[in-house]
Amino acid sequence: MENKLQVRDLRISFRTSNGKVQAVRGINFDLAKGETIAIVGESGSGKSVTSKAVLGILANNAIVESGEIIYDGKDLLKITEDEFHKIRGDKIAMIFQDPMSSLNPIVKIGRQLTEAMILKGKARQKESRRTFNSFLKRLEKNIIAAKDPSEAAGVKAKCKAFDKFERKHLKLEGKYNVAYDAATEALGEAEELVFELSHDAGRDVNYRVNRIADLSVDSIHEYVVNENAAELKQHVKLLRRSARTADADSSWIVNVFMTIICAIIRNTVSKEARLNALTRTAEILREAVGFEKPDFFAMGYFKTFCKEAMPEGTVAEQNAYMNKALYDGFMNDFLSIVDDGLRYSAEAAYDKKAEAMSVLAEQRRVFEEKPLNKKACMAAYKTMVDAVEAGIDRMEYVKDSRAYTFSSVLKNNIDRYFGGIEKNAAEEKRFAKQTARYEALVQKGKEPEWHVVPKSLIDLEKAQEDLLRAVDNMIAHYEELIARRTGRDYDKEAVAMVDYLKENASGVVNKVTKGIAKERAIKLMKEVGIADARKRYNQYPFEFSGGMRQRIVIAIALAANPDILICDEPTTALDVTIQAQILELIQKLKKDRNLSVIFITHDLGVVANMADRIAVMYAGKIVECGTSEEVFYSPAHPYTWALLSSMPDLDSKEKLEAIPGTPPDMIYPPVGDAFAERNRYAMKIDFEQQPPEFRITDTHWAATWLLHPDAPKVEPPKTVTNRIAKMKARMEAAENV
Amino acid sequence: MSENLNMNSAPVNNDADVLLRVENLCQYFKINKAVDDVSFDIKRGEVFGLVGESGCGKTTTGRSIIKLYDITSGNIYFKGRRIAAGVGTYRDAILKARAEMKTADPARKAELQAIIAENRAEIRRAKADHFAKDVRSVTEIQMIFQDPIASLDPRMTVYETIAEGLKIRGEKNKAVIDEKVFKVLERVGLVREHAARYPHEFSGGQRQRIGVARAVVMEPELIIADEPVSALDVSIQAQVINLLNDLRHDLGLTILFIAHDLSVVKYFSDRIGVMYFGKMVELATSDELFAHPLHPYTKALLSAIPLPDPNYEKNRVREKYNPLMAHDYSVDKPSFREVAPGHFVMCNDAEFEQYQALLK
Repeated sequence: MENKLQVRDLRISFRTSNGKVQAVRGINFDLAKGETIAIVGESGSGKSVTSKAVLGILANNAIVESGEIIYDGKDLLKITEDEFHKIRGDKIAMIFQDPMSSLNPIVKIGRQLTEAMILKGKARQKESRRTFNSFLKRLEKNIIAAKDPSEAAGVKAKCKAFDKFERKHLKLEGKYNVAYDAATEALGEAEELVFELSHDAGRDVNYRVNRIADLSVDSIHEYVVNENAAELKQHVKLLRRSARTADADSSWIVNVFMTIICAIIRNTVSKEARLNALTRTAEILREAVGFEKPDFFAMGYFKTFCKEAMPEGTVAEQNAYMNKALYDGFMNDFLSIVDDGLRYSAEAAYDKKAEAMSVLAEQRRVFEEKPLNKKACMAAYKTMVDAVEAGIDRMEYVKDSRAYTFSSVLKNNIDRYFGGIEKNAAEEKRFAKQTARYEALVQKGKEPEWHVVPKSLIDLEKAQEDLLRAVDNMIAHYEELIARRTGRDYDKEAVAMVDYLKENASGVVNKVTKGIAKERAIKLMKEVGIADARKRYNQYPFEFSGGMRQRIVIAIALAANPDILICDEPTTALDVTIQAQILELIQKLKKDRNLSVIFITHDLGVVANMADRIAVMYAGKIVECGTSEEVFYSPAHPYTWALLSSMPDLDSKEKLEAIPGTPPDMIYPPVGDAFAERNRYAMKIDFEQQPPEFRITDTHWAATWLLHPDAPKVEPPKTVTNRIAKMKARMEAAENV
Repeated sequence: MSENLNMNSAPVNNDADVLLRVENLCQYFKINKAVDDVSFDIKRGEVFGLVGESGCGKTTTGRSIIKLYDITSGNIYFKGRRIAAGVGTYRDAILKARAEMKTADPARKAELQAIIAENRAEIRRAKADHFAKDVRSVTEIQMIFQDPIASLDPRMTVYETIAEGLKIRGEKNKAVIDEKVFKVLERVGLVREHAARYPHEFSGGQRQRIGVARAVVMEPELIIADEPVSALDVSIQAQVINLLNDLRHDLGLTILFIAHDLSVVKYFSDRIGVMYFGKMVELATSDELFAHPLHPYTKALLSAIPLPDPNYEKNRVREKYNPLMAHDYSVDKPSFREVAPGHFVMCNDAEFEQYQALLK
């Protein structure tokens, strides 16, 4: 499965007046496409901090000590704010705990929903254009390099032809999009107005009728409103005329005048006639919106290069015919040369990768020295980065995240090391000074009201280790890629490449106007289960109940069609019935849109159905991780046991097993297992050494010394075993039925 | 309004067993009927759970009992004494009689005069009871609030917060106050040293313990716990539930426990009342309610609770409750009836028979 997000060794602290609070202490997880990972833990366990780091909204006093969050060839911990703007909301969206505080109270729901769509729509258009142009240019260069110099002219001509009919494609599709969008918008407006007028309501009728008329005219297009165009035009005429006559809302004087004038020119339109025209317009538009979309890519080629008339028949038949012409006349040829180009680029990159590996292996020793030499390090950094970047295959549109982020990872670690040397000296100095002052006061017999702020030193050893690890990881990564060198299917990749170009070309003409954003927002509101969406669109947040507000927040999060959705306790503020509805909704949306979800909660019951995998977090570390079945049916960590047994359930009445005590103070995190203090099963080693991750199955591991082969065998507490037995019994009973 | 309720039980205002009795309680805010005709008893030493979704009037019921609102109509008896009374029904009766008076014949007029006089007397009595200065019984009912942050004064130390009630009750001896405060702090699982701290220095669970201590120090007979654990983490939630449970056994408290989560309420309620849109729809002992939920809303509520069991969760079908589809009350109006001993359901005649058949 495609990995969407990788979090590696993430460490985050917060600067406070009492010292440094270590909120997240080295966590790792991957998130695959379409997968839900749940992070479960008490408040203060660092689960929200993790999600905020992914979205780049950490508080100002946060320090990212180390780690990487890799998404789409970028390390989210190291990119600038401007770059993050393009990702936040667009690619990664978040639902917060409190729906009231995440909506703007003085802006209507509709504005808040469409805001992101309009902003992101423009950005995406630009992005598509840039991608298309650059990829085509690079493709041409690679193909020419792959071929004989004599064939260069032919290749150039082919690429030019591709570019040329792509332009035609854009023009055709652009026109179609305008008409189609107008039709959708007009349909929405017309349906709304018909409903209102048939209930004797409706404001600004004239203005809206005119708007519908304008949009209807725009929607006349070969592939949208075609056969019914004549009829639609008549209705539009009638509607325009009706809008010129008086409105029932206006003052009686105007009314009387207009009635007289209309009577004189015998041009009145009765209310019934207007309503009929509107209804019929809506019907025509509804039919038009339902038509199949023609294949404009093929049509672009056909109209540019085939000197014949369009064949008769349904859209599907036309599509098939044009596609055949396209593939026979151009595409098969073109794909084969694209194939060559991709192969050339990849092979060249592979050679460079092998070279880069040797360069890395050779330069690695510069980082092994103790202490590091700054000048040598910078030189090694430059050669390494150059070598690795040369090894990147620029024709891959799924970016090789590790290679792309190599430079920033390396630079960051080097900076940390050399910055650390200076900062540590200053910090030592400050500490010594402050301690001296404190002691002087104590000696005078005073009791100072302030404390000496503890030293916050940067671990140079660790920085150096990280540096070496980054290089090793890179070498291992390239090794792995080279091992897969022979198994590649370039034919398939060529098709995918052309599809990618096509998609970007279509993206260029996918314009999001205010009107179309509104229609999409209303569709989205219906999707998240808001009844009467059209009316609700113009309401303020305070007019919604808690559950409805949370739905709005979800709709806003989905507005820009993100890849990853982070849900930070989305149901904690809601009551049980609403919670069930919201969970069902998130589940449904996830399935429909193939979203990857990070679900954060303290309630294990909530995630039982939602999550594919569960990570239990305690004191800034993941203590147990596994699929949801594994964590619920065979939990291994004492903390998971404690969490499970403190949950109230429906069919037992025994006393709840509360976890004694509170989480540890993270300014001075415990040396050993952080949970040892509250753990009934704690052994001596738990207080001395942190447990490593013990694998139980391929997907399930837990960090507890209890799993060590030498540890005494302990049974989970009775409550947990009883419950698991009960669950299994229930499962069997369900199977028998 | 009052007729259909008398069938539940005979008036037992002076029954020693019943600590709190709520009779036909109505609390209207303008046209919004937050609580509409709710009646129940709480026996001495029991925990009565009140469940429903947000906005169903369960908190309003709790606040009406502690007289944070002046109730619209109905009576509330505490230890056999009427502590709150509304005048709505009497006032309506007077208005009705006056309207009738305009057209009535002389004989009827005299009757109506008598009715008006009687209702006037009732109003006078109700007002006398409702506004009586009765410090004793007021301090015998204490409340624990949902949000431990908002319900503690940030500028008062824990000691001041807990001692405030005692001082208001007239305790002047500092030694006595000290002793009581320190004892209660230890009772709820805090230590003496915590007394000098401010609320912001505590974690969520500890804050809620302070809230509990503040209520318990007054040695109340009845505690109204308004969603005391909804704002807490699961692990802390268990701590607070266990604390309340211990206190109840040790001090013999009576608790009105208000919550939206049935699984929490179940843990220590003896009887549970389910509310929906201002009305009590089902009332039964805790075991009975979970074994045989009758009202469709109770079923919907039960089916919405998530459990830590992936297989069960994947197959869980949530029942939806739509009052218009679930009942046909166009002809036969529903009332609150006893389907089985101690099991009350809001139903009409047809449903009543249906439910009785179900329980057999």
